Formats: sequence, structure tokens, C-alpha cells
Amino acid sequence: MIKPLYIHGMAGISIQPTTEPGYFFDRIVSYAQNPIPARDPDYKALIPPLQLRRMNKSMRMAIFTSQRALQQAGRTTIDAVITGTGLGCLRDSERFVEAILADEGQSLNPTPFIQSTHNMAAAAIALALKCNGYNMTYVNNANSFESALLDGMIYLSEHPDKTILLGAVDELGERTTTFWDMAGYLKRNEPTVPTPLAAGATTGEIAAEGSTFFVASQRPVPSSLGKVVAVETCLETDDSTILITRFLQKHGLDTSAIDGVLMGYNGDSRYDSLYHEVTNAQFAGIPCVGFKHVLGEYDTVIAAALALSIQILHEQHIPPALLVSGPQPQQLSRLLIYTQRRGKNHGLVLVER
Amino acid sequence: MSTPTRVAVTGMGAISAIGMDVPANYRSLQASRHGIGPIQLLDSAHCGNLLVGEVGITNDELAQRLEIPAGEAYTRTTLLALIAAKEAIAGIGLADGKRTGLISATTVGGMDATERYYDDYLVVETHRHFIPTHPCGYATEQMAHYLGVTDYVTTISTACSSAANAIMLGARMIKAGLLDRAIVGGTDCLSRFTINGFNSLMIYTDGHCRPFDEQRNGLNLGEAAAYLVLERADAASKAPIAYLTGYGHANDAFHQTASSDNGDGAYLAMKQALEVAGMEAAAISYVNAHGTATPNNDLAEGQALLRIYGTAASIPPFSSTKAFTGHTLAAAGAIEAVFSILALQHQEIFANLNFSQPIEALGIVPQTTLLPAEINHVLSNSFGFGGNCSSLLFSNAHD
Repeated sequence: MIKPLYIHGMAGISIQPTTEPGYFFDRIVSYAQNPIPARDPDYKALIPPLQLRRMNKSMRMAIFTSQRALQQAGRTTIDAVITGTGLGCLRDSERFVEAILADEGQSLNPTPFIQSTHNMAAAAIALALKCNGYNMTYVNNANSFESALLDGMIYLSEHPDKTILLGAVDELGERTTTFWDMAGYLKRNEPTVPTPLAAGATTGEIAAEGSTFFVASQRPVPSSLGKVVAVETCLETDDSTILITRFLQKHGLDTSAIDGVLMGYNGDSRYDSLYHEVTNAQFAGIPCVGFKHVLGEYDTVIAAALALSIQILHEQHIPPALLVSGPQPQQLSRLLIYTQRRGKNHGLVLVER
Repeated sequence: MSTPTRVAVTGMGAISAIGMDVPANYRSLQASRHGIGPIQLLDSAHCGNLLVGEVGITNDELAQRLEIPAGEAYTRTTLLALIAAKEAIAGIGLADGKRTGLISATTVGGMDATERYYDDYLVVETHRHFIPTHPCGYATEQMAHYLGVTDYVTTISTACSSAANAIMLGARMIKAGLLDRAIVGGTDCLSRFTINGFNSLMIYTDGHCRPFDEQRNGLNLGEAAAYLVLERADAASKAPIAYLTGYGHANDAFHQTASSDNGDGAYLAMKQALEVAGMEAAAISYVNAHGTATPNNDLAEGQALLRIYGTAASIPPFSSTKAFTGHTLAAAGAIEAVFSILALQHQEIFANLNFSQPIEALGIVPQTTLLPAEINHVLSNSFGFGGNCSSLLFSNAHD
């Protein structure tokens, strides 16, 4: 019943220059800090200045990348908007809490409250495109985008003639970053991007932000960029290899059918061993591609990995800076993305040419 | 083609200002007894001047009822959710090999802890174990652990239509063959964040809210949680108490917070719910309206009802139950789904309290007293910020 979802356009904002035309991780911007804000494109090119001034970073990034994705797909309208965000418009949430703590009882500015609502990015897109269709927002930690992707596949199986915008956005907070640091999530010891993996890894994540949007439908056209065949999430598992085997089996495949894997290595020595075990047990000798060591960690970074996988399938090679292990492939027709965050929120996406 | 999968409701649970469980909520509805009053538990500068629908028990008492060990970090949103979800799954063994999902909705998430400890976290360690509870998804994950759901877990946040959307997703996943059973609903506790947020929008009434009244002047906020168990009707583990026969969703695409004058989103959502169910509007016996009692919502929703039905006289009995519970945000769609099913079970339409004068521009009159009636199909509306409009259609278990 659930059929593949074809991608016709995509765009991403990240801590790398992913908005530059033709950029394919040939040049990696280095950082020595934590957290790392996303690189702002020239938002004015796509968003009227008056509107732009009122938008928080999530809304800006989401509007910009969704417009770019639409341009690439050659569309100006859309039938539905489905998004994922781990933490929503975090900075406005912080601003409003701070206003309450300082001035509760006074008349507070409502804008940060309104714009702290988790569905504001999806709503802003609907408003910009005058889209009366289905509009959904998932907020499920590091599985938020996968939930949106699954809903997109269900929606298109119900409405085979429709075209949807599917996307993800997460922004950095300020105080929240301090809290995550206190909770031990963040890398303190010489945080760098590209983040050293394997033997060089230390504890903690590099916190980043970004937005990635796709235009998708169930109908392939000659200009389609690639397709998503399946997506699955799992809150917790004792054994990732079993999870992956079952996922592939469900779709009539085994590991030999996979030409390359994108793994969520983020340089956190506490959890990267999970990827190592999977690679050794199931994908030895197959190219393994990293993405979080150059994009940082945030709840919806898997959306950027999906865009990357489609680019890899299109270009038929892996940017050397992203090849974690294995050979440069001869031919690539099917990729598997596997990621988790802090041992939870396992996500699997199967992508084909 | 095979016959389409029917979606049965086999369990429900609710906690709100008018009751700690479904029977208590029903008794209040039947007696037209509201739960709106001054803030008792929440510490806010607005305590003296605001009427809300608060659940009158503390977090410690909620945790005790749930047998959660003292000292574990559960926020009020999660505690309320667990009370309701536990009631919903009573008598349904989840470990029966069926694929069970948990789809929960919240807008507050762990904000009540974050706002309480925002500065405290920086200076002392005492409450830092609450830091991870902030994200909305964390509440759902704690629920999944507590209830033992492993197959599919996700969280929806689309403002005040969140729970209706969670219920809709559960039905769609069952119909798509991805799940056999889904625990669906929503939860939001009162927080200083939302209390001050709606205050900054100047959206509160100075007394008790008056849905669909010409003189309505704003809403009362409330807190609640409610969950339904949805199952494939042909493989339900219990006798159905109702069927979810229709659902519709649309975006108003008009304004960040306000509804369009002619209620485009609301109209499209209701129309679609009827289409999914394959029903004429005339088949609906009762509409449980969103009816927040803000000037804007009730006008837009009333216009949308007029567009669906053509004339005021053709609109079936309708009422907003917000004057009982307050507007419970991400829980509203679920608590009102429970009320819609209670209406089907007991063949009673619940009162729209505090109404005296119809909105002049609409001329529509809600049901103002408890009305015994033959009820076969109930439409339940939920609309939220960002133009997010949803409508659910529940039908009798015996048709």
C-alpha cells in the first residue's frame, strides 16, 4: 500500500555552504566551537524584507529552503506541507520564558509566544503559498523528520495525484544550549568540525542547526532526483543489527542489496561504537558515509542526510571528506541511512536512484 | 478491491477539570457542572484574576496514583497523560503481538519544568534531572516506556488541533496497514508559559467563557489529557465503543493566529471528514464545536457550519464544551473526542453553558441544556494557531 516517494526538488541550510549552487561537500568549512549556528543565506533573495524582519530563524530557514526546493521542482504551489522539528522555534520559547520571569503580570509582547508554537514553520509556508491542504508538524526528538517522512508516504498513498513539501528544521537556543551542556550532551573537549571520529573521538555532540526541504510525489518524472523506498523508527533497541536486518527483510532485501550506508557518526565516543558494530557486522567492505561530523548534531539532521544520499546517487560518487570507511564505489543504486541520538531514536531510511 | 478497514474505538481515558476519569467527566457533563475556577496549584502572577479549568491534584499525588517512584523526573503534562492513557488501555493487553503505536500530542511538553527551573538549573544541581524533560517528544517517550509501547512512537504539535491530528494519524496508519492498534490523544498542563502567552494576546474572558454568544469576550484556559485506543475493527481486542468513521484536515492559510472570516479551514476540514465517512452533512446528529468563545473563532466556525448546512435551521444540535473544561490546547481534540463518544454511548447532547444571545451575524443557537436525543454520528472540531483545522467524525458502535 505504501509506495516509493519521488523527490523532485530539495534544498538545505546547514553549517556547510549547502545553499551554494552545485555544492557537494567538496570544500568543508572548519569550526572550532560548540554550538555552531547555520550559515545564513541571503534570505532577502526569497523573502520580502518586511516579512523577514518578523521571522525567527526556524521560519526563515524553512521558508527559504522550501522556496528553493519548489524552484528546483519547477513549482509555485503545493498540496500539503509536512514537517518535523525536535524543538521548534526554540529561541522564541526562551525569549518568552525570559519575559515571563522578568515581567510577569505586565503586558508582554505576544510575538515570541505566537512564534514559539511548534507548527509555525509549516504554518508560515502554508501562508506564503496560500496552501489550504494538509499541514502537519511532528516533534518527536531525533525521529521528528522520519515521522514526517512516513506521514508523507501515507498521505501520498491516500492521494496519489498530490505533490507535497516535506521538510525539517531545528534552530539552536541560547539558554537551552547551556542546559544541554549541563546534562552532559555536548562536547567540551576541543570541539571541532570536521569532528574526529573513531580513535580520535571524545565524549559529547557538536550542537548545530539547519533546515532541509523536499518536494515529493508518488509520480516519477524525468527530472526526479531520487526516491525514498522506506522509512522506519525505533525508540530503543538492544541490537541495531537485528533492527536493520528486519527492516531490510520487510522490503525484500538483505545487506548485499545495499551499495552504501550513511551512518550518523557524530564523534561522541559514547555512542559511535553502535555504528561501528553495525558496519563491521553487516556492511564490511561497503562504503560508509558520515555526515554529522561535518553538519553537527541536531534532531532533524537526518533530513540533510537524505538530501546528501540523493546527491550521492545522482553524482555516483562519494565526496572524499565524507567517506568514513570502505572503498569509493563502482556503482550506486541503493543507499541506507542509519542514525540514532544518544542511544535512542533510531532512524532508518532506504533511498534509491 | 478489499473492503476498507474500519477503525474501532475500544478504549478511552480522560482527566480534566471536570473529572479524574471518564465516568467522572460524564457525571459533570450530565449535571451541566463546569470545572472553571481560580488558579489553585500553579504559581503565577495571574493567580488572583484568572479563571481556569485546573485539574485539582498536585504532581506528587498524580505520581503516587501512577506508582512512579519519588524523585523521578516526570512533568505535569506527562503525569496527566499517563492517568488518561492508563484508563484508556484498561482491559487491553498490549503484549499480544499486535503492532501497537503511541501517537501523542502536546504543545507544552516539559515547559512547566523549564519555566520553573530556568534560573535554578544554572546555580544548583537539585532539579537538573528535569533538563531532559523539555522536548515535547520526551513526554511521549516516557509514556511509551510506562505503557510498554515499542512498535511506533511519535508526537504531534500543531497547537490547539494537535490531539485531533494524533487521532487522525492513528486511524490513517491502521487503514494503511502499518498498525493494528494505536493509542492516540493529547495532553497539556497549565503553565505560566501558556497562561502568559494567551494573556499577551488579550484573549481571556473576564469571567466564564460564553461560546457562540453575541457577548462572548474570550476563553478560559484549561488543562487535560485524554487518549483513545483505536483498533482495526476486524481484529479488535474488545467490543468497540464507537467507530472513527471520518476525519478531515485543512489549513486556513489566512493568518498566524486568527481564523478567516468565512472559516475556510474549518469548512474544508468538516467537508473532508464527511467525504472520508461517505456521509451527507444531514446524517450528523450532533456537532461538538471547537467554540473557544473568542470573538474570532466562534464567528469563523459558525460561518463554516452555515456553509456546510446552508441555513441555520439545517444545522444539527451543536455545543462547545469549553465552558466545562476550559480550552485545553493540545488535549482539546482528545477530551472532546471522549465527550463525543460519551454523547453516542449515552444518547445525550451536552450543554453549551453560559449562552444567552445568538451571534447577530450568524443567527445560530447552540444546545444550552442537556438533551436526550437519537445520536448516530458526531462531528468534533478542533482548530489551532497557524490555521490548523481538523474535524473528526465518530459513529455509533451498533450500526
